[in-house]
Amino acid sequence: MKYILILVIGLFSGTIQAQDSGNDLLNRVVDKTNLVNDYSASVIITPDVPMIKSMPVKAKIYYKKKDKFKVVSKSIAILPKQGFTDVNVFLSDPKKYMVVEAGEKLIGTVQTKLLTVIANESSSEIILAKLWVDPDKAVVLASEVTTRSAGTVKIEYIYSNQIRFGLPSQIKFIVNVKEFKMPKSFSSNPHKSSTAKKNKRKVGTIVLDITNYIVNKGVSDSIFQN
Amino acid sequence: MLLKNTYNELIKILAKPRSYIGFIALTVLIGVILLAMKADGESFISFVTSSFEQTLSFNGLILNGNLIAFIILQMLIIHVPLLVALVTGDLVSGEAAMGTLRMMGTKPISRNSFLLSKFFAGAIYTFFLTVWLAFLSLIIGQYMFGTGDLIVLNSDGLVIIPENDIMWRYGLAFCLAYLSLLSIATMSICFSVFSDNSIGPIVSTMAVIILFTIIGSLDVPTFDHVQPFLITTHMASWRSLFEMPVPYDAIIDSILILVFHIVGFTALALWWFNKKDINT
Amino acid sequence: MSEVVVSVKNLKKSFKDFKALKDVSFSVYKNDVFGFLGPNGAGKSTSLRCMLSLIDSDDGQIEIFGKSLRKNRFDVLSNIGSIIEKPDFYKYLSAFKNLEIMARISGRQVSKSEIEDIIHFVGLKGREYSKFKTFSHGMKQRLGIAQALMHNPDLIILDEPTTGLDPQGIVDIRELILKLSKEQGKTVILSSHQLSEIEMIANRMVIINKGKSIIEGDVSELLNSSQMMVKFSCEEPERFCDVISNEFSNISEFNVTDSEIEFEINREDISEINAFMVHQKIKISGIEQKRKLEDYFIKMIQNED
Repeated sequence: MKYILILVIGLFSGTIQAQDSGNDLLNRVVDKTNLVNDYSASVIITPDVPMIKSMPVKAKIYYKKKDKFKVVSKSIAILPKQGFTDVNVFLSDPKKYMVVEAGEKLIGTVQTKLLTVIANESSSEIILAKLWVDPDKAVVLASEVTTRSAGTVKIEYIYSNQIRFGLPSQIKFIVNVKEFKMPKSFSSNPHKSSTAKKNKRKVGTIVLDITNYIVNKGVSDSIFQN
Repeated sequence: MLLKNTYNELIKILAKPRSYIGFIALTVLIGVILLAMKADGESFISFVTSSFEQTLSFNGLILNGNLIAFIILQMLIIHVPLLVALVTGDLVSGEAAMGTLRMMGTKPISRNSFLLSKFFAGAIYTFFLTVWLAFLSLIIGQYMFGTGDLIVLNSDGLVIIPENDIMWRYGLAFCLAYLSLLSIATMSICFSVFSDNSIGPIVSTMAVIILFTIIGSLDVPTFDHVQPFLITTHMASWRSLFEMPVPYDAIIDSILILVFHIVGFTALALWWFNKKDINT
Repeated sequence: MSEVVVSVKNLKKSFKDFKALKDVSFSVYKNDVFGFLGPNGAGKSTSLRCMLSLIDSDDGQIEIFGKSLRKNRFDVLSNIGSIIEKPDFYKYLSAFKNLEIMARISGRQVSKSEIEDIIHFVGLKGREYSKFKTFSHGMKQRLGIAQALMHNPDLIILDEPTTGLDPQGIVDIRELILKLSKEQGKTVILSSHQLSEIEMIANRMVIINKGKSIIEGDVSELLNSSQMMVKFSCEEPERFCDVISNEFSNISEFNVTDSEIEFEINREDISEINAFMVHQKIKISGIEQKRKLEDYFIKMIQNED
C-alpha cells in the first residue's frame, strides 16, 4: 500500500511539474507577443493548393492589439480561413485554457517542446492547439490548431530580424483540400473528357513571406474598416 | 464584282430593321447582367468560391470588370449565336422569299461571287456584333466595376489570373469567340441556300446549336467520341485562354475544327447554289 | 437579213418528272420587237429563265449576241435588261437605292445622274427616295422597267410589262418599246397575254405550247391579213344572215347571239356588206373587227392539242 501511494504521489507531482514548466514557457511566448501593440508589413502570399492555380500575390498586412487584423491587396489573395489573431486572442487569457507539456520534437536544428493547449470552455472556437516551441527563444516554430468552424490547420514559422517580438518572416499554412467539391455548373472544359484523370493531391500549402515590418509605430483604425 | 456586291450586301443588312435586334438585345441583356451584378454580385461570387470557403478565405477585389466580362461571355454562349443567325440565316432565303433573288440572278455576277459576297457581309456583321459584345462586357464592365485579378471556375478548380496577365487573353478570347460566331454564321448561310423562306434556316441553326450544346454538356462516355467534333464544343474554346498554363495545342485544334466547319459549310453552299434553279 | 441577236435551239428542261420544255427553238433578230406567246404553263417563263441563266437547261443551245450563254455569261448578261414575272425589289430600300444596288452589278458604269434620269423617265419623279414598300403596283412595274433600261442594254426582255398599269401607262410602255426598237436600235423580247399589244407592236413572234415551239415568223405573214372575224350588230339578224348567204357565197357560217352576227370575211368585203345592207334597208348599229391574233393564237393552240 505504502509503495502504491509513493508511486501515485510521484506521478502526480510529475504532471504538476510538467504543467508548471509548460505554463512558464507559454507565458514567455505570450509575453513576447504582447510587446507588439501594432505592426504593418509587406507580404508575398504564395498558394500551392490543389484545385487552385494562382500566382504569388503582393499584399500589406496590418495588426492592432488585440484582434484587429487586415490584409490589403488589389490582387486576389488566398488565405486560410482561420484568422491570424485567433491563437493570440485565445492565449491572452490563461483562465480559458490548460497547458500540458507533451514531449519534444526536433524541427530543423531546434529541439522544440510540444505544448498542448486545451480550451477550458466548451464554447471556445479553438478546441485544441498544439504548439512546438523553441524553449530558448520562446517562439512557436510549428502549430496545429483545431477550431470548430475551420477544422485543423497546421502552421510552420520561420523567424529572422523580428524574432524579439515573436513576429515571423515566413508562415506556412498546410491546408487539407479533401473537402473541396466543384459545383456542376458552367465549369465544363471543352478540352477534357469525362474520363480524364482526377487530381489526387489532398494537401496544399499557403506560404506568407513577410518583410518590412513596422512595429509599434501606430496603425490607424480606419484601415480596419471595410 | 465581289467587292461591289459585298458593299451591296452591307447596305441591305444595314437597312433591315432586324439587323439591329442583335445589338439591341445584347445591350439590354448585358445591361441587365451588369445591373444585377452591381446590386448583388457578391452572392454570385460566393457561389463560385463556396466550395473552398470552409478552409480558405479570398481577399481582394474579386468582383471586378474582368470577372463580369467573363461571366457575361459565359452566359451568352448560346444567345449570341442565335442573334447572328437571325440575320445571316436570312441572307439567301430572304431574297428568295422576296423575289429579289430572281432579279439579282439575271445580273452579270457569278453565283460564286454573289454568294461569297453574302458570306463576307455576314462575316463583317458578325465582327461588329462581337466588337459590341466586347465593348459592353469588358469596357463597360471595367468602367462600372474596376479592374483586378480574374478568378475563373473550371472543372479542374479555381484559376486566379493576375490583372496584368488578362487583357491579352481577352483579346485572343474575343478573336476565338468571333471565329465561333463566324462558323455559326456560315452554317446558317449554308442552310439559307437550301431554303426559300426566311424562318427555316434560322430555326434550323437554333435547333442545331441547342441540340449540339446538350450533347456536348452530357457527361456520358458514349458521347466522348462525338463531342470533339461538334461545332458547339469548340465554341467554348475561348475559355481555355483563361487556364494556367494555356493549352495552346487544344486551342489550335479548336481553331482548326472551326475553320474546317467554315470551309465545309461554304463549299457546300457554293456547290448547291451553283446547281440550284432559281424558280422563285 | 438582220443579224441574229438571240438563237435558241432545241431547248429542253425537266423538273423532276415534269418536262417543262421539250423542244423550244426560235431566233430573234436585231431591232425586232419579238412577241413570245403561249398559254399558261406553256413554258414561256421557263424559257426566259433559261435565257437569263436563272435555270440551267438540260439540253439545247442558247446563243445571245453570237456568244454561248454558258461560256460568256458575264458579257451576255451585261448587255441584257429584263423583267421576269413581277419586278421585286428590296422593300426596305428606296427606289434610288434599289437601282443603285442593281447598277453596281450590272456590268456597266451607271452614274447617279443616269439613275435619276431613268427614274424620271419612267414617271417616278418625286418618288426616288420613297421606300419600295410604299409603291403601288403600277409604280413597281415602272421601277422594274427602269432597272431593265438603266444600263443601256442592247437586248431587253420584258415579261408582261404592262400588268397593273393604267391606260396611259400602257400606251407609254407601248410607245417606249417602239422607240427603243426603231430609234435606239434595241431588240425587245416581249412576253404578254395582252395579244392586242403584241399585235400592235411586235413584228415577229413565236407561239409555244406544252414546252414546244409551234410556229415562228413575221406577225403580218402569219396572220394573213385577208381573212378576219367581224361582228355586225343589227335589229334583224335573221334577215341579215339570209341576205348575206344569198349574196356572198363565200360566207356560210354565222355565229348569231341576240342581235349580233359574227362571221369570217375578207377585209375588203366589209364596206361592200355595209353598203348592201343599207340598200336592203337592214339597219346596222355596229361593226366590230375581232382581234386577229387572238383567233390565230387560239387556233394554233387548239391544233396543237
